[in-house]
Amino acid sequence: MSDRGFRLARTEKLLYEFEACRPGQYRYCVEFVGHQSREEADRYARFLEDCGYRVFFKNVNLDWNVGKAEVRPWAEKGGRLASDATTYNRELLIVEKENDGKPFELHTTGEDRARYLRACRRPALFLFAAAALMAVLLRSWTAAGFALLALAALVRYQVELVRIKTRSEWEE
Amino acid sequence: MRDNAKGGALTEVTFYILLALYTPRHGYAVMQFIEEKTGGRLSLGAGTLYGALNTLQEKGWIEPLGGGTRKKEYAVTAQGRRAAERELARLNELTAAAAEIMGGAQDEKNMLSVFLEPDGGPGQVAQQNVGPGLPSGAY
Repeated sequence: MSDRGFRLARTEKLLYEFEACRPGQYRYCVEFVGHQSREEADRYARFLEDCGYRVFFKNVNLDWNVGKAEVRPWAEKGGRLASDATTYNRELLIVEKENDGKPFELHTTGEDRARYLRACRRPALFLFAAAALMAVLLRSWTAAGFALLALAALVRYQVELVRIKTRSEWEE
Repeated sequence: MRDNAKGGALTEVTFYILLALYTPRHGYAVMQFIEEKTGGRLSLGAGTLYGALNTLQEKGWIEPLGGGTRKKEYAVTAQGRRAAERELARLNELTAAAAEIMGGAQDEKNMLSVFLEPDGGPGQVAQQNVGPGLPSGAY
């Protein structure tokens, strides 16, 4: 959208609002923060704002329920209970930076990228385990489909992690 | 950050952050400092810097300053200074060993490069002075 001359102005559960800008004036990164606590995610967002970036929280699911709580066993520190008051529907951070011609990356060292990828991999691992179990117990093709999707995500994360590890071993 | 606690070696990122915080700075200023000092070779992402600052704070090597500005500033602690000084001593030891071993080889390489320079080097002059007037391949 930025390349077509639109800048993100506001996000809602289902909608994104844009305003006109010069084509390519801004660059964006999307980061998963669903594993963090509300306080930690807010602290991180404030830090990014201090760095001169604009930050938007966004939901990862299309869910209109109010007052919902969700157990996230894959979250940091052995799992968390996410609710509307904490990180439920605030799983993603969209980060905007004015385009200075340089690549826009939030994670630039191998070790840090690996840590972030491991945090992203955990939900896929739990989804795979739960969906595979349901597929076997309930003989459900739908659950098997979800298990396959989660497996594809797992493989993708794993390949990237191995690539980072191999490169960092060479560099060390 | 995977600093080598036993061997005392710091990662390049850790060392540069500690150096940056000898003067109190906020996150963005740290990123700019590192980019400037490395001529753009090392460009730190904000997410990476955030994680590194948290880790260094947990180690007690840096501390946030309670200034009045909205942007949070950090400064290196006495413990952090000692870690940076140890790293400098380690790097000095490493460069001294490298110079001792590679120094002679480096001098030879420098001399050779002077003679083998394609334009304007003495080697070129020497070649031009051999057999003036003879077409190439006429030997």
